[in-house]
Amino acid sequence: MAEILVVAEHRRAKLADISLQVLGLGQRLAEEWGAELVAVVVGGDVSGYAETLARWADRVLSVRATGLDEPLAEPCQRILAGIIRERNPALVLMGHTSFAMDLAPALAVELGAPLATDCVDVALEDGGVRVTRSVYGGKVNALYSMAAGETAIVTGRVGEFSAGEGNRRGEIEEVAVDTVEEYGYKQFEGYVEQEAGGVDITQADVLVAVGRGIGDRENIRLAEQLAAQLGGVVACSRPVVDQGWLPAEHQVGLSGRTVGPKLYLALGISGAFQHMVGCRGARMLVAINRDPKAPIFAAADYGIVEDVLRIVPVLAEKIAETRS
Amino acid sequence: MDIIACIKRVPDTTGADRIAIDASGRDIERRLVAFKINDWDEYVLEAGVQLKEGLGGSLTALTVGSQEWEDILRRALAMGADAAVRVDEDVVDADPRTVAAILSSAIGRLSYDLVLFGAQSEDFGCGQLGVMVAEMLGIPHAALVVDIQAEDGWAKVSRELEAGLLETYRMRLPALLTVQTGINRPRYISLGGIRRAMRRELQVTSLGELGLSGEALAPVVRLERMELPPKGKEAVLISGSPEEAADHLTRILQDSGVL
Repeated sequence: MAEILVVAEHRRAKLADISLQVLGLGQRLAEEWGAELVAVVVGGDVSGYAETLARWADRVLSVRATGLDEPLAEPCQRILAGIIRERNPALVLMGHTSFAMDLAPALAVELGAPLATDCVDVALEDGGVRVTRSVYGGKVNALYSMAAGETAIVTGRVGEFSAGEGNRRGEIEEVAVDTVEEYGYKQFEGYVEQEAGGVDITQADVLVAVGRGIGDRENIRLAEQLAAQLGGVVACSRPVVDQGWLPAEHQVGLSGRTVGPKLYLALGISGAFQHMVGCRGARMLVAINRDPKAPIFAAADYGIVEDVLRIVPVLAEKIAETRS
Repeated sequence: MDIIACIKRVPDTTGADRIAIDASGRDIERRLVAFKINDWDEYVLEAGVQLKEGLGGSLTALTVGSQEWEDILRRALAMGADAAVRVDEDVVDADPRTVAAILSSAIGRLSYDLVLFGAQSEDFGCGQLGVMVAEMLGIPHAALVVDIQAEDGWAKVSRELEAGLLETYRMRLPALLTVQTGINRPRYISLGGIRRAMRRELQVTSLGELGLSGEALAPVVRLERMELPPKGKEAVLISGSPEEAADHLTRILQDSGVL
């Protein structure tokens, strides 16, 4: 029986949500292919994770690696390479996370295995794995085929797959690995939390979010005025933080905060998925962007195709009139 | 400290509303779009220039592409690179594995303490290349780096994880880092700077000179075709002048109870 191997991810004593999303994808593919769905989790004490994963997978490889409490790329790569060589699964699935971006390309080179990253769909066709990737800023879909007969490694886009059903009773298999060797050339020093400032965008009912389309640091005051009229606060997408126009505590998205306000008003935000995974919990999403092809219009409830600098002052005025 | 910065040229599709699939079905109509340096690679070059300025040494910009790609090498020279190398090969739709094989071969012929890549490209966004090259060269790597402090033989780096969390490592050099946006503020380049860079000599090499051919470069992942995404749920568009649209949106916000 063919095997689909899902690499589960954990950090700081917590199983990552993405692991269950990828297992959801794995469940669908395993059913279509008649394959066995196997989850693997590697770390210091992974028995708790293994029990959770067993509700999603047919089998769980619980790999206890003494001293490997945090998911360090090099030891994980060596351990996973050994398991994959031994089991020869048809497909290895991971989430397209910071962990996978640091690990999967090196693992693929070590194994000589084809790798497709950040995929939004996976299918089996003519005995080979086919994947769909979203390219050119979400404006084009690209379809790829992966060499048949080899273990294909695929990372799936975060937030793209639902977690599926956690009602199985998979078998847990304890796997022993030799003591994790020392990686003297690369020493883990610890985690650093981003400094929290005075603003907590996760608590606001209304967020006026600005993106690259706001054009300049000076223009952010337009968004602040609008936010003040709406009783909300200003949020932003990554490029605005990269430019130094707003501090990181305002950032919504994968590397920032996840929000779920009553209203999310996106100004000049194109709608890259890294941003959208952070704001899809909004009850109402309104997008203003001068690019009619901006992917955000596919996710928004209402859209206005217009230069934000032209419409925002007018909108702030209208709202002020209405409130008075 | 000798640094190699690997950079690429991408179509500028932000704001481009004329996106079409070309006759081959495997690419977009390139004549409809302008080209630019990959966003991440501006941060790569700035990081390289800052490290070189602080520690001494050299910065070499490296790319794989046709002659048109020389504009990004000129840009790298204008930003402060000392040398620029182009491997003359069109790899636009190639498997990242193929490009990694070419780059690791080219890098292997240069002297380096640090190799820098962008964490990903704007066009295909695979985020594979740098880490693959590190594995091929057999040197330590870290992806998605947002801070680099280098000193003799070692670098202290911070990697970006999810939700505002970072992790830090101390790494022995030579090493390869893939750089995340926001690590610095790339310097402004004047037209004069670009003009002066036009007079500088670029080094051009080929797959033949690198001793690469056939099997080593065969793709293991093949681009079959591109298509425009199917129309899904679309936003209800509010049209009219800014006044009309603002008026309409205000009413919607009132009706929904937000106002």
